[in-house]
Amino acid sequence: MSILLNKNTRVLVQGITGRIGRAQTKWMLEYGTRIVAGVTPGKGGERVEGVPVFDSVLEAVRETGAEASVFFVPARGVKDTVFETLEAGIRLVVVVTEHVPVHDTMEMKAEAKKVGATLLGPTTPGILTVGEAKMGIIPGNLFPKTSGPAGVISRSGTLSYEVGGILAKAGIAPSTVVGMGADPVVLTDLPELLRFFAADPQTRLVAIVGEVGGVQEELAAEYIAREFRKPVVAYVAGRNTPEGKRMGHAGAIVQRGMGSVESKVAALEKAGVAIARTPAEIGTIAPRLLGG
Amino acid sequence: MRLHEHEAARLFQQAGIPVPPFAVVRTADEAVAALERVQLPIVIKAQVLVGSRGKHGGIAVAETPEEVREKARTLLRSSVRGLRVESVMVARKVSIGRELYVGATIDPAAGAITVILGVVGGIDVEMIAHERPEALFRLTVVPPDELRGYQARGLAREAGFRGDLMVKIADVLVSLFRVFRKTDALIAEVNPLVVTADEALWAVDAVLDVDDSALFRHPELPGDSLARMEHPLERAAKQIGVSYVDLNGDIAIISSGAGLGMATMDVVGQRLRPANFLETGGGITEELMYKVTQLVLEKPGVRGLLINLYGGINPIHEGAKGVVRVLREKQVKIPVVAKALGNRQEETWATLSEAGVTVVTDITTEAAVEALCARLIGEKA
Repeated sequence: MSILLNKNTRVLVQGITGRIGRAQTKWMLEYGTRIVAGVTPGKGGERVEGVPVFDSVLEAVRETGAEASVFFVPARGVKDTVFETLEAGIRLVVVVTEHVPVHDTMEMKAEAKKVGATLLGPTTPGILTVGEAKMGIIPGNLFPKTSGPAGVISRSGTLSYEVGGILAKAGIAPSTVVGMGADPVVLTDLPELLRFFAADPQTRLVAIVGEVGGVQEELAAEYIAREFRKPVVAYVAGRNTPEGKRMGHAGAIVQRGMGSVESKVAALEKAGVAIARTPAEIGTIAPRLLGG
Repeated sequence: MRLHEHEAARLFQQAGIPVPPFAVVRTADEAVAALERVQLPIVIKAQVLVGSRGKHGGIAVAETPEEVREKARTLLRSSVRGLRVESVMVARKVSIGRELYVGATIDPAAGAITVILGVVGGIDVEMIAHERPEALFRLTVVPPDELRGYQARGLAREAGFRGDLMVKIADVLVSLFRVFRKTDALIAEVNPLVVTADEALWAVDAVLDVDDSALFRHPELPGDSLARMEHPLERAAKQIGVSYVDLNGDIAIISSGAGLGMATMDVVGQRLRPANFLETGGGITEELMYKVTQLVLEKPGVRGLLINLYGGINPIHEGAKGVVRVLREKQVKIPVVAKALGNRQEETWATLSEAGVTVVTDITTEAAVEALCARLIGEKA
């Protein structure tokens, strides 16, 4: 079992003919992902790694039954493409693209809510269900071949790889690794992702990898205290972040007294979450949480 | 990108918000000449991109042409919170009856826009929120919805305003919201919005922070976002296309992701002191790593370099060649430790090892810091 994505999910790649789209399509196929179609307007009729390319999402869906989509689309085209994708009936969208204007993200979030779709990102490494499939750029070779009991939710890409690896080394393989995105507004909030893991019988523990800025960890803390019954371990990156400085991610900023590691850790601790002070500590805390 | 007060004020004015007459000048003579357009008494305000200018000597009042010359000259020779004053805004001084706060900002919890009306103003909004939360009235607007006039009037009514004043405040809110949407802003605020004794409104300050990611569709906004970065290394990094934040320590850090970079900072910080935060994002090439390696080593006093990379979207085997080129060309003697995992990791390790880099293959950043500490102790011995 897993959340959102498995080996049977029929995946569409948007922006498939670009440099990154091509390279990542190859990696996703090699991992076992069932990629059925690609879309790049104007490139319909081509093939990338054997995958047929269409001019529009609607065509791709009609011809191949695609049901989930991953974006390697330039930032300025993301909003338009999301609206096209949702109108074509797709209900899982992974926006890998960085530097999407926040005002666009707010509009996409409102639309996703209206039609009941799950959109991940922007600035997400994507989603990987161990041993089955991946949408996005998470390198498959960093994870064990067979899946385990740990759900991983991360705001950062590279840090989710490190935590996935640390868990595996501790003998606890991940089930599904989800990148929620690192912008000031994310398309799917952390509590909603926890809700998916709550419903997944395979997942017995969740690791949250947070960072400075925004309020996602605080929202998660409220939700966990209220109704989440599986053990949670969390690491929040960016202690000693200077006020007013963006730490790489658009959303990673301590500003106007909001978004510090201290406030997030305090909220999570109050909700009963075990706090790791470094990523490696997740590897010692997680086995304890499962054993107890 | 944060706009200067006069840039924001111009945009607010064009949107219909009442802004007292003003001019922007770079010399004392120009300040006096501006009195033809801006009547005395005036306020002279340093155009620097920091808050609390009043508290830090960046704002002066002048009532005669002589005072204007003298105070403009003094301000134009000074620094405010470490920033040199290159221009000042000369604005008509208005008589203050009462001060309010109006603002629009992104609410990360709602994923929407929050419009705020404060019945007190003139002090930081965080401070109002902390000390008098009941003085702030908020409304959430989910784009693409607009802030409608009736909604704004409802907010003003809720805050206790009636009659003409309620309508005028609502008009300011609607105009401010339009600027916020039109410029892809992250923050737009007027603090204070002054109410005079005869119930006229004046925006006597203007703050506008726009989304860097949206600048591509705003040719009308100032095009010098790069020049606005104060720190030379931060500016150089932005030019290369990576983000750099200067810190107080002496261990340089290069990471291939923001989260990984922050975690590296955390782990290094337990035993050593990070000199910087640097993350490459997903655009690693040999050339990029060549440039960023040079960049982090430019900081005086750096005594170690920790490189922490993952090859997901990034070709780390290419990046390794760039690192090695710098080490050879500059004959770098300080210890360099690298952890680089993911696609084509073996090639990457070989390239780095050959150039004398300590390669760590363990998944934890702790292992890399441990290796760096060992190298640093070795150097001393």
